Amino acid sequence: MENFSLTRSELVQLTADTFIISFNEWIDFEPIQFIMIETETSIVRKPFGLGRWNGKLAIGVQIIGPGTNYIVQQSVLNAHGPCGKGFVPPEGKGAMIATPACLPMALDLHKRCSCDVFIGSLEELSIEIPFPLVVGDEAFLSLLRSLEGYDWFLVIGSDQMEKISYDALKDKAEVFVSFNEYMACGIGACRGCAKETKNGLKHLCIDGPVLRGEEVWS
Amino acid sequence: MELRPPIVIASGVGGMGEYLKLIDPKHIGAYTLKTITFNPRRGNPPPRLIATQNYLINSIGLENVGVEKFIEELENRVYDELFKKVKVIFSFAGENFEEYLLVAQKMAPYQDRFVAFECNFSCPNVHFNPLSNVVELERMLSELRKRLNVFLIAKLGVEGAFIEEIAKIVEDCGWDGVTLINTIRALHVDGDRIIKGGISGPVLKPIALRAVYEVRKKTNLYIIASGGIMNEQDAEQFFKVGANAISVGTALYKDPKMIEKIAQKFS
Repeated sequence: MENFSLTRSELVQLTADTFIISFNEWIDFEPIQFIMIETETSIVRKPFGLGRWNGKLAIGVQIIGPGTNYIVQQSVLNAHGPCGKGFVPPEGKGAMIATPACLPMALDLHKRCSCDVFIGSLEELSIEIPFPLVVGDEAFLSLLRSLEGYDWFLVIGSDQMEKISYDALKDKAEVFVSFNEYMACGIGACRGCAKETKNGLKHLCIDGPVLRGEEVWS
Repeated sequence: MELRPPIVIASGVGGMGEYLKLIDPKHIGAYTLKTITFNPRRGNPPPRLIATQNYLINSIGLENVGVEKFIEELENRVYDELFKKVKVIFSFAGENFEEYLLVAQKMAPYQDRFVAFECNFSCPNVHFNPLSNVVELERMLSELRKRLNVFLIAKLGVEGAFIEEIAKIVEDCGWDGVTLINTIRALHVDGDRIIKGGISGPVLKPIALRAVYEVRKKTNLYIIASGGIMNEQDAEQFFKVGANAISVGTALYKDPKMIEKIAQKFS
């Protein structure tokens, strides 16, 4: 865990509002860990999942407000991390289902454990990606119905996308979900990112962000 | 109490020492632990936070393990590394006057390990507000003073009574200092969600400055100023109006390294 500055190497636009930012610096991290990035638009830092792009450290950013817009505009970002508990892929055949902003994380996990990756997007991407892509809600639901023969799934995206995916996949295999909750410190100090689970409160910045879906939604 | 630099990590924000992963302890005068209550508290249900450019509202609700478990952790040397690195302030609270006394009683044998005890009389996320009953408060302050020999600090808020009047009572009861001010009850509307909690950040600074100013005029207490201190200029203003030390909380969320900049100016 440390403070650092990251200088932008490349900015790749995936959709109208979604970008990959790669950096010149590298930090060691475990799958699905994240960093907390400072912005000028909020007094708390924002969490972004770590991954890779063309061999460099990278994050994906979907612009949803002034903070994410700020991050896309900057050439240098102040951050701390890596935060969170690394995801340890279980034994067996696995698949990650993610939104375009999670592409760097997907590339990293695929490199580490050779899991399959499926990207669900609301619009076509402006670049070719090395994973199957489905576009639109119907195609995404159809994808979820078609996934068979896996021992585990990892779902990362919006709250709605994650719940839909969990409901569609929970009877097929173990479903892990990278949950979203407002964070302030990212290091386990403030207890702000509490998540209700059937095993009691968990704090996503130290117990997560990945939890078993059935812990939260059963 | 001598703090070098005169900078305190605020209770709550600082957790149980986690920020030492990101801040060199030489920049910290004292580290205040998260408030410990008599009984364990699960805290408030999520969502617990909302932030803007100028404020943060938190509704953590004093989540903590309770004093018995905390003492067990002390005995098991969980915090020994923390004690080696920095001076530590123990923060405590209760859900009624009696619980404050019970926590003090249980912690009395351990008071030498701490540079001070900070009594949190003003958490906006619990239902009990000790500052709204001045007679009972005075009785409790006297009782706590009898039970504890450690440097005693009252963490006060601005809700309940004029803060300088309360601070004078604190001083008259033989206490050593005050932390001014705690967060204030606030509410944020976010679409269909309403988030209630305690507000902190830059919006609090003018209120905290006034509180320090008024309390300094009326008492000789050691004052730890807290409320919207985001940089060394903010800190300087609090020292000008009478603070002996400053406490940094919400600013850590934006930039933990800010502590170093403040420390370099005031070491």
